[in-house]
Amino acid sequence: MSKADSTLPAERRLSLLVTVLAFALPVIFVLVPLAIFLGYSFFSVDQGTIVYGLSLGNYARFFTDPVFLPVFWNTIVLCVSVAIICILLAYPAAYFLTTLKGRWRYALLMLLLVPLLMSYVIKIYAIRSILGLNGFLNKALVALGILQEPSTLFVFNMNAILLTLTLLLIPFAVLPIFLSLERIPQVLLRASDDLGASGLQTFLRITLPLSLPGVASAASFVFVLAIGDFLTPQMVGGISGFTFGRILYSQFGTAYNWPFGAALSVALAVVVIAAILIGERFGRNRGISV
Amino acid sequence: MNQNTDLLTLRSVSKSYGTVPVLHDIDLSIRDGEFLTVLGPSGSGKTTVLRLIGGLEPLTSGEIRLDGQDISRMPINRRPFNTVFQDYALFPHLTVSGNVGYGLSVRHIQRKEIARRVAEALDLVQLGRFADRFPAQLSGGQRQRVALARALICQPRLILLDEPLAALDLELRRQMQVFLKSIQREIKTTFLFVTHDQEEAIGMADRICVMEAGHIRQLGTPHDLYYKPNCEFVARFFGENNLVAGKLGPIQGELRSIETALGRLVCSISNQPHLKAATDGASAYAAFRPEALHLADAKDTDNRFPGTISDMAFAGSSTVATITAGADNAAQRLRLRVPSRVDGSALKSGEAVSLSFAPHEGHLVLA
Repeated sequence: MSKADSTLPAERRLSLLVTVLAFALPVIFVLVPLAIFLGYSFFSVDQGTIVYGLSLGNYARFFTDPVFLPVFWNTIVLCVSVAIICILLAYPAAYFLTTLKGRWRYALLMLLLVPLLMSYVIKIYAIRSILGLNGFLNKALVALGILQEPSTLFVFNMNAILLTLTLLLIPFAVLPIFLSLERIPQVLLRASDDLGASGLQTFLRITLPLSLPGVASAASFVFVLAIGDFLTPQMVGGISGFTFGRILYSQFGTAYNWPFGAALSVALAVVVIAAILIGERFGRNRGISV
Repeated sequence: MNQNTDLLTLRSVSKSYGTVPVLHDIDLSIRDGEFLTVLGPSGSGKTTVLRLIGGLEPLTSGEIRLDGQDISRMPINRRPFNTVFQDYALFPHLTVSGNVGYGLSVRHIQRKEIARRVAEALDLVQLGRFADRFPAQLSGGQRQRVALARALICQPRLILLDEPLAALDLELRRQMQVFLKSIQREIKTTFLFVTHDQEEAIGMADRICVMEAGHIRQLGTPHDLYYKPNCEFVARFFGENNLVAGKLGPIQGELRSIETALGRLVCSISNQPHLKAATDGASAYAAFRPEALHLADAKDTDNRFPGTISDMAFAGSSTVATITAGADNAAQRLRLRVPSRVDGSALKSGEAVSLSFAPHEGHLVLA
């Protein structure tokens, strides 16, 4: 009894410490910075110094200035497009992976994920050399006779950003889709066959709906990563490819208007949170998670 | 539905996974409208038989005929059979009525017709109130019934059931046995039921097919299997039994004697021509059920031998005595079962007794 008395408090102290850490770390490293950001968005800048007086001026500027809302909207459209194209390309790839047997399946999956190990900047440079006016893509299209002369369709503009982001983010779409496809019990597909369904019917009525949670999380992954990116638009977007991320970046850099940048970040954060919530909503499929 | 015509015939069907054979030259006929149970220990190949018939796996050799036509190569979705899977395999994203109506909707049947037949099928399995629930919201027994309704709504020629009761607890399993049997009588469809549980097999089947190590050991009514097992495996596997090894002796009408460590025993061989044909001196077993064994009285002249009660075990409705019989160097352990009584058994542990069984209650199996 006395032994138990002496050991219990020590154990309790340890478990208390663990509990405090578990809650404190996310609070200190995530919530507090976010709160500081939110606070900054209500300040203003006067001749290069931050004025610590609360005002809604930054938000008013965001909603009334004719520059910001269109760029904001175009960026959302761009990132939704990236997400859709990523899904359309990743789904067949992921499906193909699940049809492979044993070792091959994971070997090929690893191969698809290898690009994630490479530096982001190097990948963008590589893609730039493919997309440029004298890039591989243009040369190939001319050589094949599809184009008479190099096209400017995907050189330093929105299209270039779209293509580059899609290429960079595809692995993030393949993985969740692959996992959700792999989790579908094979016996459900056999049951569908057994009840008289054709291969296509089984895919459309069983496989596809059961993999939608994976598609939803893939889409929200890609969207969130794409909308937060400023480096890719900066490097392949040229002058016409102006995205919200670049505006944000310039507020913290060249414009040196942190409070306004913070307000723009809050706007972006609202969209990101909405995307995650939507993904979560569709990711949770009624019957599947018991 | 004529129980004497064959619905489905398996002819020298074999199946191997790679180089590992799991079925050896199976011949089996399933009669139209019967409840046939395939019974065997795990690894006997019973589930493989069902998967081959359902088209879930290809045959290695042999053929399967439906109404005389070879369907061995027919794809799974064309076969007029439906399966009730072991873990039900309900579609988690569809409601109960979505699951039950699935087989009809993939055949592009009109919505109204589907709704009518789904309601009918759900009434049959007493789940009408649960039509809009999802499988995750149902109990095991309810899921089981959804799986059954989903299989029978397509009006298949044959329903294949793969140990469908294995996941249920004992009481529910008993209820489902009665329920399955009554449904089968009502819709008059042929059921092929795979199980490793004898009690299930005896309780439901018109005929039982006992399998072991990829072979069919015996096919017959539960009564035949119990009282006329044709081999040592069935005699030991199917129900409790006492087997005493010996050499066959002369035939006297419907009886045949066997020389054993317990002396000369006489057993019935009626309607078993292979036992009549076996040569004298062939190795065989005398087999008699624990409930056939009793304390000998003056009337018992045949099959009389001494023994000692070594243990008494109360088992609810009956009490089982373990008996050591025969000479020390060839002692046999036998079991004797008597109905339990509230004032206890007349048998006492350690008591020396004289035992007997009636010749017509003993049978012979060749070793």
